[in-house]
Amino acid sequence: MHWRVWSLISGGVAAVAVLLGTVGAAHAAMMPPAAARAGLAVVQAHCSACHRETAPGHFARISEERKSPEGWAMTIFRMENVHGVRLTQKQLRTILRYLSDVQGLAPSETRAGRFALERRPNHPILKLPYNLPVMCGRCHSLARVALTRQPASEWRKLINFHVGQFPFLEYQDGSRDIRWWKIASTQLPAKLAKLFPLHSAAWRQWRNRPRADLAGVWIVHGDMPGRGDYYGTALIRRRSWDRYRARYVLHYANGAAFNGSSDAIIYTGFQWRGTGTLGGKPVHEVYFAAANGSRIRGRWFLAGHSEIGGDWDAARTTGAPKVMAVIPSALEVGTRQRLILVGRGLRGGVDLGPGTKARILVRRPYGLILSVRVNAHAAPGYRTVRVGGVRSRDLLAVYRRVDHLEVEPAFAIARLGGGTLAPVDAQFQAIGYTNVLGAHGRVSAVRLGAMPVTWSVAPFNAEAAKRGDVRFAGTLRQDGLFVPAEGGPDSKRQFSADNTGDLYVVATRRTGKTAVVAKAHLIVTVQRWIKPPIY
Amino acid sequence: MNLKFLVPVALAGLLAGCGSVLSPGHASHDFIVTGAAPDHLFVINPRTRKVVSDFTIPDAHDYVSVIVPSPNGKVAYVLVNRTRSIAGINLRTGKEVFRANLESPGERLTCMYAFDVTPDGKELIVYVYRTRLEIDQYKVQAPRFLIFSTAGGLHAKPLREFPAPRRVQMVLAKKDGRSFFAIGFNLYEYDLKTGRLIKRRGILDWHRPHHLRPDMLAFWPVTEPTGIFSSPVYSTLTGPGTPSGGVPETSLLTLNLHNGHLAYHDIGRTDALIFSTVIGPQRKWAYGAYTQLTKIKLDGAHWRVADRVNLPHTYYSVNISPNGKDVYVGGTMCDVIIYDARTMREKGDVRLPGCDDQATATLRVIERR
Repeated sequence: MHWRVWSLISGGVAAVAVLLGTVGAAHAAMMPPAAARAGLAVVQAHCSACHRETAPGHFARISEERKSPEGWAMTIFRMENVHGVRLTQKQLRTILRYLSDVQGLAPSETRAGRFALERRPNHPILKLPYNLPVMCGRCHSLARVALTRQPASEWRKLINFHVGQFPFLEYQDGSRDIRWWKIASTQLPAKLAKLFPLHSAAWRQWRNRPRADLAGVWIVHGDMPGRGDYYGTALIRRRSWDRYRARYVLHYANGAAFNGSSDAIIYTGFQWRGTGTLGGKPVHEVYFAAANGSRIRGRWFLAGHSEIGGDWDAARTTGAPKVMAVIPSALEVGTRQRLILVGRGLRGGVDLGPGTKARILVRRPYGLILSVRVNAHAAPGYRTVRVGGVRSRDLLAVYRRVDHLEVEPAFAIARLGGGTLAPVDAQFQAIGYTNVLGAHGRVSAVRLGAMPVTWSVAPFNAEAAKRGDVRFAGTLRQDGLFVPAEGGPDSKRQFSADNTGDLYVVATRRTGKTAVVAKAHLIVTVQRWIKPPIY
Repeated sequence: MNLKFLVPVALAGLLAGCGSVLSPGHASHDFIVTGAAPDHLFVINPRTRKVVSDFTIPDAHDYVSVIVPSPNGKVAYVLVNRTRSIAGINLRTGKEVFRANLESPGERLTCMYAFDVTPDGKELIVYVYRTRLEIDQYKVQAPRFLIFSTAGGLHAKPLREFPAPRRVQMVLAKKDGRSFFAIGFNLYEYDLKTGRLIKRRGILDWHRPHHLRPDMLAFWPVTEPTGIFSSPVYSTLTGPGTPSGGVPETSLLTLNLHNGHLAYHDIGRTDALIFSTVIGPQRKWAYGAYTQLTKIKLDGAHWRVADRVNLPHTYYSVNISPNGKDVYVGGTMCDVIIYDARTMREKGDVRLPGCDDQATATLRVIERR
């Protein structure tokens, strides 16, 4: 399901339905009249046999819900696979775009669930009130809930659908010891409708806003755990009222190329869903544009390995001068280094504070490349970066030593591979901190960023040691990537158990005779056979 | 404590009477009946450790789960077709002699693993979830008990229907033939003819001093050879002498199908999971299976774990020979292993040909002359 839905959502090369000649009208509302008419026509032709058009353009159930593009894609997928709806690829795209635009979510309504759309690995489930963590969070990340808007009557129908389709949910751990159905069918609909209602001021305002034009030159900064920072420029060209093509000229921190390109569809005026390549690898992009079109942020991830990806932050080259990022974000005393200031309008000299000397090597569209010397007695701590009249705090630190490390994420889940399913890897990074003595003798920890370390694994407890989890569960590479073993019964293990494991991931940084060590907890567990776009 | 996963399971039925059913002077032998995806029903001779019959269940749709043998051991009723059908297979010929496709106009019916055959072998009691399928929505309906005649043929329709509570995981016919039990939030006893609720006793809301609310997922209602159903129940012991937060404790629930007596016995701290249990014919020992085979001593009021051995892999279902000498474990993968009930040593194993996966198929024991 995963890949079919993705090819449907994103603006990949298979994209068909490009409606031209309506750009002017795009500023009038969420979608141009011709596209709206096309979408409505598909709904009337293919959905209204069951979802009756009770008033012009108003369809039973469909018009009572608002969702993300991924949410609508899952619904359409289910209608095809369970209820026999037959649509061409063009009709699929038309209907998906139509529903995402006219029955979509306002930016503020997507905020809580963006982590799920962005496929951020090891993100904790949402904190929602009432008994929702037990009632829904046993199976869902709760982003699925938080990315849906509907009245109590529709929430009730959704709950009925759940039991009708998955009757054994009442017997599962966490629900069989409570009166799940009674709670779900009586208390829950009103509570959900209060939290996530169909009608909202945010949506009323957003749906009438003109679409921002995202074309232009953008400065990009991002971080790919395991590989580090990258930076550069993006050239975004508009192909139609909702479609863009982007070219990326990017670099890793060491200057190596990390170029790419993408084709994207903008849903609901702000949700960028792209498909393309980065560094030669196929990727998907889930980004969100600011309401005024001045910034695009989100996460990209590898096709087939959504756990591997990076943050994406793009700002226009035009606008008030600012420093977006400093790469690297920490400088050791007594060194000379290449430093990149990513930002715009960076004119004038650079000052990184006492004990440092910065020289501009070259000016680029995305910022400045500097040579910086930090003398041996420079004071550790955060530095204010001054470029001409621009001042930025907390983007750069100076350190004498790494006092402690933290492994991020502190808790991760990896999944075994095998058969038709790729393993789900777990990427770790070791974040260094230095202690700085502040006012009134208070010591504060200054974050230095990802540090090169030696990686190893250890059993999490005596049981894990007894089972030999370290030997069976997989391999931790020296870039912090844990690659799980193959799934399925392993005759070499006790009980022919799967190659699951309960492990510590250990980062060790040695300086001379001293070592700084940090640990994270890694569970290596079984495959996830159902891979919907939103859990 | 909770079981980690939903492991749907199988249900029980009854043998010819109970453990003391064998008439003296008539030699009879026990056979193991079990199933496996995609559509197998196996009869195994435990003495030769051979599969003596490998029947194909029609329209099983890659799904073979709960197995209930008729009291005379001649027919096995099998939940197939992803819980939407019960097929009756003649255990000598392999012929399908009964079929109830659970359907109702405009409704989706699902047997929630819970069904049994009456002691006279004439009726099947089937617990179903119902969902009304409307043009653009599903409507959950109250569950029901459907009573079928086992003589209903290949297009069996229910003779009677009764309202039923939600979340029932097992149905067990009482030996007097007049009522049946349903295990869910509570233990319910219903009149077989009228569906009248005769008695309700707490399971989830049990009243046991120093025991917190229990967790039970008994889909393995094997009742042979004693006529007593048993199941592990997981709880937490609190009170004087226990650390804060309590101690995880495993108990054994027993329900005597002859007299309806319900009892709980603690068997010890929960050091290992047990998915299903069986009571031995002399009622001195019980056995439980999962990744280990656990032997439980039933010493008057004091029951305790007496022995535990590792199994080659996970087994969901356990059963025992009528003489109590051999313990059988099966389910999950594609083999059945025979253990010496006294020494807990492996005596032999049986590989199931053409088996994709036994999964939740029940392991039943029948007797043949």
